[in-house]
Amino acid sequence: MIDTATLEKVLHDHLPKQRWFAGGDDPAPAVRVASVKVLKGDWPVLLHVVAEAAHGAAGATPYQLLIGLRPPEELEVFLEGKVEAYIGEVETELGPAHAYDAVFDPELAIHLLHHIAPGADAERARVLHVEQSNTSIIYDEKLFLKLFRQLSAGGNPDIEVTTALAAAGFAGVAAPLGVWQEDDFDLAVVNEFLAGGSEGFALALNSLRDLYDRREPPEACGGDFAPEARRLGIITARLHLAMAEAFGTTDPDASAWAADMVGQLERLGDVGIDTGAARAVYERLASATDVGRATRIHGDYHLGQVMRTDAGWFVLDFEGEPNRPVEERRRPSSPLRDVAGMVRSFHYATAVAIRDRGDEVVDEELAELARAWEARNTFAFREGYRAVEGIDALLPSDPAACDLVEASFELDKAIYEVGYELSHRPDWVVIPRAAVDRLLEAP
Amino acid sequence: MTEPQRPTNLWLPDDDSWFKKAVFYEVLLRGFNDSNDDGTGDLVGLTEKLDYLEWLGVDCLWLLPFYESPLRDGGYDISDFFNVLPEYGTIGDAANLIEEAHRRGIRVIADMVMNHTSDAHPWFQESRKDRTNDKADWYVWNDDDTRWSEARIIFTDTEVSNWTLDPVRGQYYWHRFFHHQPDLNYDNPEVAQGMLDVVRFWLDLGLDGFRLDAVPYLFERDGTDGENLKETHDYLKLLRKEIDTSHPGTVVLAEANQWPADVVDYFGDDDECHMCFHFPLMPRMYMALRREERHPITEILAQTPAIPDGCQWGIFLRNHDELTLEMVTDEERDYMYAEYANDPRMKINVGIRRRLAPLLDNDRRVAELFHALLYSLPGSPIMYYGDEILMGDNIYLGDRDGVRTPMQWTPDRNGGFSKADFAQLYLPSLMDPVYGYSAVNVESQQRNPSSFLHWIRRMLEVRKAHPVFGIGSFEVLSAENPSVLAFIRETVDEATGQRDVVLCVSNLSRFAQPVELQLAHFEGWVPHELLGRVPFPPIGELPYFVTLAPYGFYWFSLTEGASSTDPTTEIS
Repeated sequence: MIDTATLEKVLHDHLPKQRWFAGGDDPAPAVRVASVKVLKGDWPVLLHVVAEAAHGAAGATPYQLLIGLRPPEELEVFLEGKVEAYIGEVETELGPAHAYDAVFDPELAIHLLHHIAPGADAERARVLHVEQSNTSIIYDEKLFLKLFRQLSAGGNPDIEVTTALAAAGFAGVAAPLGVWQEDDFDLAVVNEFLAGGSEGFALALNSLRDLYDRREPPEACGGDFAPEARRLGIITARLHLAMAEAFGTTDPDASAWAADMVGQLERLGDVGIDTGAARAVYERLASATDVGRATRIHGDYHLGQVMRTDAGWFVLDFEGEPNRPVEERRRPSSPLRDVAGMVRSFHYATAVAIRDRGDEVVDEELAELARAWEARNTFAFREGYRAVEGIDALLPSDPAACDLVEASFELDKAIYEVGYELSHRPDWVVIPRAAVDRLLEAP
Repeated sequence: MTEPQRPTNLWLPDDDSWFKKAVFYEVLLRGFNDSNDDGTGDLVGLTEKLDYLEWLGVDCLWLLPFYESPLRDGGYDISDFFNVLPEYGTIGDAANLIEEAHRRGIRVIADMVMNHTSDAHPWFQESRKDRTNDKADWYVWNDDDTRWSEARIIFTDTEVSNWTLDPVRGQYYWHRFFHHQPDLNYDNPEVAQGMLDVVRFWLDLGLDGFRLDAVPYLFERDGTDGENLKETHDYLKLLRKEIDTSHPGTVVLAEANQWPADVVDYFGDDDECHMCFHFPLMPRMYMALRREERHPITEILAQTPAIPDGCQWGIFLRNHDELTLEMVTDEERDYMYAEYANDPRMKINVGIRRRLAPLLDNDRRVAELFHALLYSLPGSPIMYYGDEILMGDNIYLGDRDGVRTPMQWTPDRNGGFSKADFAQLYLPSLMDPVYGYSAVNVESQQRNPSSFLHWIRRMLEVRKAHPVFGIGSFEVLSAENPSVLAFIRETVDEATGQRDVVLCVSNLSRFAQPVELQLAHFEGWVPHELLGRVPFPPIGELPYFVTLAPYGFYWFSLTEGASSTDPTTEIS
């Protein structure tokens, strides 16, 4: 259908411009087209392409592309303003054509949906967002297609987990309606779209704007988030119970957790963190015996991964931390690691809401309200979490041990954030650094 | 062959589904207008004000009980179903009111209490005499007070049992409400027929229907809580069948203060009540306002089951009772208390007794937003007298009287309600500097074109011009901004395929808010803002971007195809 050499040539320019391209600053990756499959052979043509890009010594990474082809005289209005979606001119069996990212082509996007979930039907498609690791399309505001960009063998954790959770009767997850798999690779998945929902982070910011304007204690504000935080805690505990049921539990080795944490601390180098104090926390974790059970967890749990719908809270995106290898993401860990992730997110929300205001001077009163909001919602979240029947079986039996494990994961997460902010948004680093200092101050 | 008669509805359009498009106006007869200067509103007084109600644009009046009564429960304790309370006037006055209302295109429904009577009712007086008289079985009697202990006590503040001992008959009688309101015994066919006669009597006089008070409790059965029993539904179906035959086009509106999933049973299969109140929506609207997010509203609407085609919800912001919190969870109830009732006097039973304006801190923007929601959410809006001028309340009056003070017509004595001495009024008129009649009254708001009253009138005009608000489907749109509630109401004409589409966008926040709406399925359509008929930019492929002022809202009608009055084409 298509001349591979020209395709490789245009992809060579196209790939580095994509958000999901992991090659970083490498402007000239070596691109090899590994496979081309024709999903639709007449105009407009739809191709499934796997291209491997080799950057440096890291080896070749396989990327998945859906390429649309239309004859040169056709004006692709849907590409207007989306320069990065245009791939280039190519030669095909049908003659010269424009090649472009087919997710933006409403007609081909529908074709793709039928290919993945033959029972599903829709009239309209729109690209919701292009993420680091995937691209998602919404159909009729009812269906949600996630296309994985970087392929890794062994199945996608999100599909694996959502399918298992739904089978375990967990209500807070959208179960897959259709999965596209080839050999050992998960290529795409179709879920129900959570229409009318609000992202947890947006709700938290809404509550905080109210707080910062009223300047009254959070419990006295109309926008109090605590009832939601409590419900979120409940759904989180149910998530972990369903995980335990679906994937089982293991007896964890706290010293391995601690070793990972120390490893992260060391990789970060000297960034002004009191490493001695941090190591002391991790050492206490390493020698702890009462640390609860380990099970499959969400792994990248924060307010941006939960959605408040009219049917309650839903949990999204079980990919785990995208920077970690898949095998590591699958490894059982303490459910308290998710709890710690959410607690860190409450702190982030308070800080982001202050940043959003754009105040020129630091407002001490707001900082105090922010701490009160964080404390109140952290308490409500934990209370909701621990009130769920059966969750005790996964947690350390001694409350102090529970606190130690959670605090260790919180510290680990905050230190990870310091590293992330330093390399991505240096002027944000004050947020996690304040958290690290606070966590290390605690007796 | 006999055609069903339509007694006095000659001035009204022949439309049996009128109630689905109507705006209802709840009138407290006692407090509306006093024609004979005795300090109490009356039927003639209300009749005098029909011109005002016609000007305002309401479609149907709902009268609270005006029957003969010792008035120990605001007239819900009826002592003669076939007579008018003398303070209110005569049967002739009632007939005249109905006819004059119909002449102006306004329908009239009235409260009817099916469940019980006053203990002063001659039926009860006879029934209590002994165990063998003609009416001995018209009420529910028992030798002890232990039967049906599963039934909850509704007025927990004043009643300790659903049974009260009658010293004359020496037996206990059953009452789900106050002890002076014995429950009628619907297992007795004479009672069942007798109450149908009552209903027919008033329909013959011209009433367009009833709001049935406290319907879930008509029957009692062992081992049940005595609520929503099959027998009760069967009786309501019988009643509906009777009036559909004898008085087509009349409406039965049920008061069943239950969760929507249970209330829908009262619609039956389109063969029971035409309308039911949607109770939980109201507290959820207040909660959404406090939280500045849409979920309290969308959540309860998502939990509301579909209802039969011929039926309609009745929705309201406030009414003569307290803000009903029976239907929210404990957590939400605590929250509502904390937000609205810092003063314990504002709490009564499990509700809050305040009028709309004080509940909203007298914020006109919020009052407009709330009415815009009331007029556009699915259901027929029911307004409470005085809310159109943002009247206040008097929380120092006992029981629920705080929201039942005289209507404020003018800045003159007693707010123009009555020429009686102030001390003679059934309740004092409001005279405080914020809500008193010198500050808040119909006359001054009629003179001021930018008043709330004129705004309400304009909204009712727009609503009337768009039946889709009453009968359209309802779909909530996704919006990333949780403070914004956006939804589509739509009807499709079966004959022509013509679509009538209205888009409503509301900002529940006190801050200005942006929102992107996914309207790609209306690509090429043009939104016209309905109050000013201003065309907005056409909807394109990208999300439709709207900015909203604090508590702002838009009603757009969507029209297919480019508009000739599109401002962008006019300029060039």
